[in-house]
Amino acid sequence: MIPNTAPAPADETTTAAAVLPQTPGQSAAKKFAGSKLFGSPASIAGVIWLAALVAASLTAPLWLPFKTEDQDFTAVLSGPTAAHWLGTDELGRDLLSRIFASAAGTLGTSMITVIVAVGLGTLLAMLAAAAGDRAENVISRVTEIMMSLPGTVIILAVIGAVGTNIPLIMGILGVLISAGIYRVMLGQAKSLQSQLYVDAAKVDGMGMAGISLRHVLPGLTNTIVVQAALIFAVGMLIQAGLAFIGFGPPIPEPSWGGMIQGASQHVYDAPWLMVPTGAVLALTVLAANAIGNALGKAPNATASHLPSAAARRQRAKSVAAIAAAAPAPKDSAKDTLSVRNLSVGVDNGVRLVTDVSFDVEPGTVLGLVGESGCGKTMTALSLLGLLPSGVSVAEGQILWNGTNLAAATEKAMEGIRGREVALISQEPMRALDPMFTVGYQLTAAIRRLRGTGRADAKAEALGLLEKVGIVDAARILKTYPHQISGGMAQRVAIALALSGRPRLLVADEPTTALDVTVQAEILSLLRSLVKDTGMSVVMVTHDLGVVADLCDQVAVMYAGQVVENGRTDSILDNPRHPYTLALLAADPHANHAADMPERLATITGQVPQPKDWPSTCRFASRCQFAGSACTVPVPLLPSGAGDGVVRCVKADELAVVGLDWVATDIPARHVLSLSETRTVEKDHA
Amino acid sequence: MSTATSVRPEAPLPAADRPLLEVKDLVVRYGRGRTAAAAPAAVDGVSFSIAPGETVGLVGESGSGKSTIGKAILGLQKVSGGSITYQGRDITSAGASQRRALGGDLRAVFQDPNSSLNPRNTVGSSLAEPLRLRGVNAAEAWQRAGDMLERVGLPREAVDRYPSQFSGGQRQRISVARALICDPSLVVCDEAVSALDLSTQAQVLNLLADLRDERGLGYLFIAHDIAVVQFLAQRVVVLYRGQVMESGPASAVTENPKHPFTQALVAASPVPRPAEQAARRQARESLGVRTGAAATPGPGGCPFRLRCPLATDLCRDERPALRTAGGSDVACHYA
Amino acid sequence: MALFITKRLLMALATVLVVAVLAFLLVHAMPGSPGAVSLGAGASQEAIDEVNRRLGWSDPLLVQFFSWLGAAVQGDLGISLIDGRSVSADLASRLPVTASLAAGATLLSGILGIALGVTAAVRGGMVDRVIGGVAGMAVALPAFWIGIIFVYLLAVQSSVFPATGYVPFEDSPQDWALSLALPVITLAVGGGAFIARQTRASMLEALQQEHIRTLRATATPTWKILYVHALRYASLPIVAAIALQFIQLFGGSVIAEQLFAMPGLGQAVQNSVSTHDAPSVQGVVVIATVVVVAVNLVLELATKFLDPKLRAS
Repeated sequence: MIPNTAPAPADETTTAAAVLPQTPGQSAAKKFAGSKLFGSPASIAGVIWLAALVAASLTAPLWLPFKTEDQDFTAVLSGPTAAHWLGTDELGRDLLSRIFASAAGTLGTSMITVIVAVGLGTLLAMLAAAAGDRAENVISRVTEIMMSLPGTVIILAVIGAVGTNIPLIMGILGVLISAGIYRVMLGQAKSLQSQLYVDAAKVDGMGMAGISLRHVLPGLTNTIVVQAALIFAVGMLIQAGLAFIGFGPPIPEPSWGGMIQGASQHVYDAPWLMVPTGAVLALTVLAANAIGNALGKAPNATASHLPSAAARRQRAKSVAAIAAAAPAPKDSAKDTLSVRNLSVGVDNGVRLVTDVSFDVEPGTVLGLVGESGCGKTMTALSLLGLLPSGVSVAEGQILWNGTNLAAATEKAMEGIRGREVALISQEPMRALDPMFTVGYQLTAAIRRLRGTGRADAKAEALGLLEKVGIVDAARILKTYPHQISGGMAQRVAIALALSGRPRLLVADEPTTALDVTVQAEILSLLRSLVKDTGMSVVMVTHDLGVVADLCDQVAVMYAGQVVENGRTDSILDNPRHPYTLALLAADPHANHAADMPERLATITGQVPQPKDWPSTCRFASRCQFAGSACTVPVPLLPSGAGDGVVRCVKADELAVVGLDWVATDIPARHVLSLSETRTVEKDHA
Repeated sequence: MSTATSVRPEAPLPAADRPLLEVKDLVVRYGRGRTAAAAPAAVDGVSFSIAPGETVGLVGESGSGKSTIGKAILGLQKVSGGSITYQGRDITSAGASQRRALGGDLRAVFQDPNSSLNPRNTVGSSLAEPLRLRGVNAAEAWQRAGDMLERVGLPREAVDRYPSQFSGGQRQRISVARALICDPSLVVCDEAVSALDLSTQAQVLNLLADLRDERGLGYLFIAHDIAVVQFLAQRVVVLYRGQVMESGPASAVTENPKHPFTQALVAASPVPRPAEQAARRQARESLGVRTGAAATPGPGGCPFRLRCPLATDLCRDERPALRTAGGSDVACHYA
Repeated sequence: MALFITKRLLMALATVLVVAVLAFLLVHAMPGSPGAVSLGAGASQEAIDEVNRRLGWSDPLLVQFFSWLGAAVQGDLGISLIDGRSVSADLASRLPVTASLAAGATLLSGILGIALGVTAAVRGGMVDRVIGGVAGMAVALPAFWIGIIFVYLLAVQSSVFPATGYVPFEDSPQDWALSLALPVITLAVGGGAFIARQTRASMLEALQQEHIRTLRATATPTWKILYVHALRYASLPIVAAIALQFIQLFGGSVIAEQLFAMPGLGQAVQNSVSTHDAPSVQGVVVIATVVVVAVNLVLELATKFLDPKLRAS
């Protein structure tokens, strides 16, 4: 009977992500809660219902047609009539009057449970999070015991001892429920305690109480309100349930519980009696749940990596549109990737990548380089048709062996992924399934992609792991991903990518999360794999050193566009675009210790948000060399070095003058451009 | 570096000669009680010092204990052995009240600009917090918050805004402002620029350099990227598995590393010049340093021995002491 | 592993002990001495005192507690003050009723909940909204209300199922199943909705994991991603939700037992509380706690088995 006091999981996330502000511009907690509260029709209805109920109840004597104790023996146990809209009970008392008159009392006693449960649970959670492991252990043990009590039975035993003293029983119920609240709050309180701003406050010498009040409690408010709404509903249901089995409040006072108790005795002869009270109760519980769910809804939930069936149907439509727009030419060279005028956009129309074109010859490595928010990861993921949900290719072609991958159906892509185009990603640990062994994941992929039998697949898995430089391959096959190091996991991920013998490998910042000595090993491995297998690689990175080490070609991206494309040595040794020039000048790795400059070159400001990209040169506002010629859209122009191209009208002029990007002071007034929405794209963090 | 003669706490040296911060034989083990005693040390006998106005870089890979050392100095991590002395005072196990007295002088800038400011408080409130804790009245604290924001290149009006309204680089400037608002002598920067993009990273590095020159600050600059450390630090300490491998002037350690690990670390850091990088790659591959993936050495001896091309039985049996070689101190039997 | 189990067993034992003490104290706080309760109104003070003395009512609390505990360990939970029957025997006959009810309802809610939750997460769109709406209604409706509607529709109006009563399995398996049907369905509505919400949330979280993208990048068929990998990842919270459901149904079948007139533990506690039958109340509390603690123990072992990270440590 005690309903599930573990919080409604439906729309809630209590992860660290939920702790951080999600919709900038609304960080003030109240504004945040308010906008969510009135964000859904259900919760608006819920708020109105509860407010109306309380108001009606408090003003009941002024407007009710009958007094709560008026008995009408001519209409006992009647259904709805003109005189008694909701019917009458066994003494002929008007149900409508009794329901509304007693609403405030019922809601009030439920609030007792809420206050005790949420108050105690929150207090315990903050204490456990602040006071260290030992205190947490003790508190957690105690709450574990509380949670493994048979709640209903205990409550009934309490009723046996103290009688049907509803406020006291609701208070004790609150104590029992507080253990569940503690469980919910603890994770969040600990996550808040581990925030760096708490460390900063500790460095300041702020005490435990100060930190809990100033930094932890405010972060818990949203959860507190959500839980309060849900527990409120639980409290009402339990009160009603107790009344139903005969432990309602003492008789004369009208109360919902008492009315249900009365109705339960007439279930078979007057079933209507249960309807009005039950319906009002159900509506009130629904209202509280709706409010709780609306407040608890995680704002920007992370996009799913496997869109729902509905989303997949949506995408199939847009793919068909692209396929209709431009048929793929059939005469492309084998294993050559040609990206033509690719644009990727969010479904609301904002473009994240615009008009990107590049080619990758077989056996070569192309680097896609740029800062976060430049669209390089989105470009890379579009090659596999693995853009996150809500993002899709808007225009252009991705030509691969006679197919336009941008217009391929999901089914067609399933034939290409792994077998022809493979992926390795930034966080090797998160790229592997934590629930299965390395061996299972690898052999399953080999069996699927190579069509080999179980026994052969195991031998091939061993061979693949050795190929990617793992010495004790047999042992690694038996391990789970959490049991191996990051470098080892990335080798496993590479082996997994190789299991279908792909001809093109898309590598999304594959070394960013690794130590620099491990990065060097992985880069060497990739180089030898390219040499041995003749596959080509699209390498997304923000590190110009990685580009210099591995890439034959490089495409520098800025604000969703390719701004410079060509051979790696000509671009890095002789950059033509001011952005490339600036990146190199800002990179401490570009300088030797002996001639390390006093100050590094900087680029003022930051990469603009996709929705703010101008139609002119997108870099002009940050460019030291920008002039009046830069206020028009700039096409890619031949750079003069081989078949290299550069998107700068002043490239030739700059090349002649031979300017350097110089270190600049930070102009105090110009750097702040307050952004209303953060970058939609998640490049490397 | 730490010298043989210990500083007697009861008779502090004159301020000019006294190091700002001295870490001696620091040991940190995680866990408590028996778990801690059995656990391998995260920091294993590390000593170094920082002179007033000096920047010392602490470099190492993940698991080297560099961040743990920073936390121990800031009082965020319990110390299992050794001592930390700040301006002649032992702060190894200072409590909250001692920290409050110290907190204005010894401050921190952390890695993640998203989590180092409370998203629910205005920037002004975050900046004023350390001042208010020290009894500065609200109006003055607010005033100084505005001044400091201007100094780091943000407008005064930013005091009324929330952290989410700023980009990562701007937030990191606010963190720097928060660290410097009490006019400290030493700032511990724990991976303070590693979450930033190149151009913003350069902005913040320049800001740190400007502020150092302006105010005579000392930095303990903790980073995994030796090139970033090299830009800011006068001296560099290289850590591996909680032990100091090499320490010395930044130019000596980065240009002419003596310890095989430092050599591997420097050689692995790629440079954005293709021809030079090709040569460095060759040099790195010829070093013969083995992969660290599966190598967990037992206790005792040199922690790097399983990866080291020079390792012998001596390296297994005896932990090499730091000794001077060239311009640096090196913990290697064969350097 | 052995250490883990030992620790957990000790913890479970401690929980039961704490509850035993608590129950003992509560029962002592009940109005009326055992003599007064068992002899009813109108009994003489001498007779009441005599019964109280025989039951050791005037002994120190500690002595009473330990003599009760000593007997309880041997399976003797005392004698009912109302009808003089052995509490142990009474509860033993009631346990199967509640156990069938709770197990049946848990099974049904598990099947319903997982099916609906997975469907909502996988299909998305309209299907998701409809399931979400129905589940939202289902958790908000009081169980007795749902029960009454079922009784009215399926027993009174169309007499598909018997409205009330319980037939033991030994008497007739078929009638046993029929007699359980309505109470089980009644309880499974709310429970199924709860598990469906948990399942949906866990599945969605699983699908946000980056390894799902790796699986797609290696051409894993969609059904396998959903039903092998994502469901496996989501299984821990789902299993926890199902166990929680069982625990709550076990302690919370009072309403269903009242509504459908089933002679289970819930009915026992309700009756004994109304009649101030102290030994019975105490017995039910302890038995319910033992079951709940045992289920928790099984849950913890299951969790440990399901999560490779926990299994390894």
